[in-house]
Amino acid sequence: MIDVALAQKSGGDLAEHSLSLSMRQTFALAKRSTLELFRQPALVVPSMLFPLFFAMLGNSSFGRTTSLPGFPKVDSYLQFQLAGTITQGVLFGSVTGAAALATDIQNGFFDRLLAAPTSRTGILLGRLAGSTLFGALQTAVFVFVLMPFGASVSAGIPGVLAMIVSGALISLAVGALMSSVALKTGSAEAVQGTFPLLFILLFFSSAFFPRETMSGAYQTIAGLNPISYLVEGLRALSLEGFTASATARAILVPLAIAIVALGIANSQLRSRLRKH
Amino acid sequence: MSESPIIAIDLVRHFGDVQAVKGINLEIKEGEIFGFLGPNGAGKSTAVRMLTTLLRPTSGTARVAGYDVVNQADMVRRNIGVALQDAAIDPLMTGAELLALQAVLYGIPATSLKKRSDELLERVGLTAAARRRVSTYSGGMRRRLDLALSLIHQPKVLFLDEPTTGLDPMSRLTLWEEVRRLNKDGTTVMLTTQYLEEADQLADRIAIIDHGRIVREGKPADLKASIGAPTLIIKIHADQNERAKSVLSTFGELRPGVEGEIGVGLQGGATQVADVVRKLDEAGVHLQHLEINEPSLDDVFAEATGYRLEGSDNAPPAGDNGLRDNGTVEPLTKKSRWGRKQRR
Repeated sequence: MIDVALAQKSGGDLAEHSLSLSMRQTFALAKRSTLELFRQPALVVPSMLFPLFFAMLGNSSFGRTTSLPGFPKVDSYLQFQLAGTITQGVLFGSVTGAAALATDIQNGFFDRLLAAPTSRTGILLGRLAGSTLFGALQTAVFVFVLMPFGASVSAGIPGVLAMIVSGALISLAVGALMSSVALKTGSAEAVQGTFPLLFILLFFSSAFFPRETMSGAYQTIAGLNPISYLVEGLRALSLEGFTASATARAILVPLAIAIVALGIANSQLRSRLRKH
Repeated sequence: MSESPIIAIDLVRHFGDVQAVKGINLEIKEGEIFGFLGPNGAGKSTAVRMLTTLLRPTSGTARVAGYDVVNQADMVRRNIGVALQDAAIDPLMTGAELLALQAVLYGIPATSLKKRSDELLERVGLTAAARRRVSTYSGGMRRRLDLALSLIHQPKVLFLDEPTTGLDPMSRLTLWEEVRRLNKDGTTVMLTTQYLEEADQLADRIAIIDHGRIVREGKPADLKASIGAPTLIIKIHADQNERAKSVLSTFGELRPGVEGEIGVGLQGGATQVADVVRKLDEAGVHLQHLEINEPSLDDVFAEATGYRLEGSDNAPPAGDNGLRDNGTVEPLTKKSRWGRKQRR
């Protein structure tokens, strides 16, 4: 006789989801979303390569702008640009993760999960965990690839680790927001349709130039743009060193946005489940 | 006496103005294979989605595996296996990985996972393909994996939503065998299908659903019997037609056949064939060919709905509830009520 715990209890003796089962489920779903991501090089490679390409391009095009009034004191443009590169890569990687959730909804895999006694929150967190891990990996890759070209991190090894955590949190925050779109629309196309919007938001932020060098409406928009604050948190670690203030900005800003975004995504998940 | 594993009472589901399911009542007994038969858009998948907790009923109640599908949905999920036609299997994962994931979802301990997974893979003939990505599987292999996934927790109640749609005949037969084996082991199976032959082959009882309502329910044999007598068809020389008709008319109502053939509805059933042959012989009628055709589920379906599934047993009319394209259905004719051979 097979020792299958649940089967032995068939007839319905099990009560509520145990926390440990929910965590096992979330971990298994996170593993699935991670495996799925890395088995699609066509999705992974561009979100690794394009930000690096932009960074190199920016370095050669805007390298001399570091002497502009208002530009912080940096060793090179790449040192300044590193935070923007990380944010850019993580933003696009998060769209990929959310699009995969929408695909699950479209092709019925989501229903497969719902037909099983799966923790509903686990379905969302499992998917986001994969994106978050990918965000951390992207951050590490960007730092280590750009470092020999001048993208130094004043905060040293602890700063790099904090940047990786920050990159993961940004990925979680953006992934949760994009997942809300996926859950609301159930359409991978709709999620991918946010890509140009993110691109515009990125360019209207302080990802490529400090807000101090901007003027007029551009400066106002950048000041209102949450992406500016995500970038500047990371940049603080790059430029200021491993200070409490820099670390707090790098970690707490994306964490706060992630908490709000997770609340929105969870609300969208409940809304979708109510419609069923 | 224990409660039947699937009970639905006045189950209704609306999607805006469209009434997909208009109040169905079902009771499926323990150990049955129950066939839920209907064309696309008839409401069978909507009904199954309500019974498997994927869709809330607009009204009515249903209990599955002893639990209410709305108020005890999680308990229902723990006790049923579900293989949905439109629920994709992740093509980027391997069969073994998907079984491992499914096992975790059902709380199966890691210590039992490998043994259970290996047993299921062997059962559905996928041991050799277990480490391959699903994207490399054929349609039949995916369906067998789907079945294995739905069995990971050894459910007593199994929902199979169009399990053989799109499969080649060999794969279909393999899956049928597996369903029979599962049922023999005590699993209650609710099978939705648009294939009359599938329902006929597998189901102990069937329900025909059309436009959101159950229009016939019963054992396939009883339903076919309700259509009437089997048709005996004989082929003879044309100059013996009148003598043959005279003999045949004593056994039941004459029915027109194709040219050169005479049909009769045997009121006394198929056991009268020997008597018919003897009487024809005594009358000097020499038979060239003889066949007897029992009424089919095709006829039951036609009788119940007023149309036939297009292309006989296999292709249903397209469309959704209330939205059916009437151009795709074959209208019921008097001739078509007589059994499948009359039509072919």
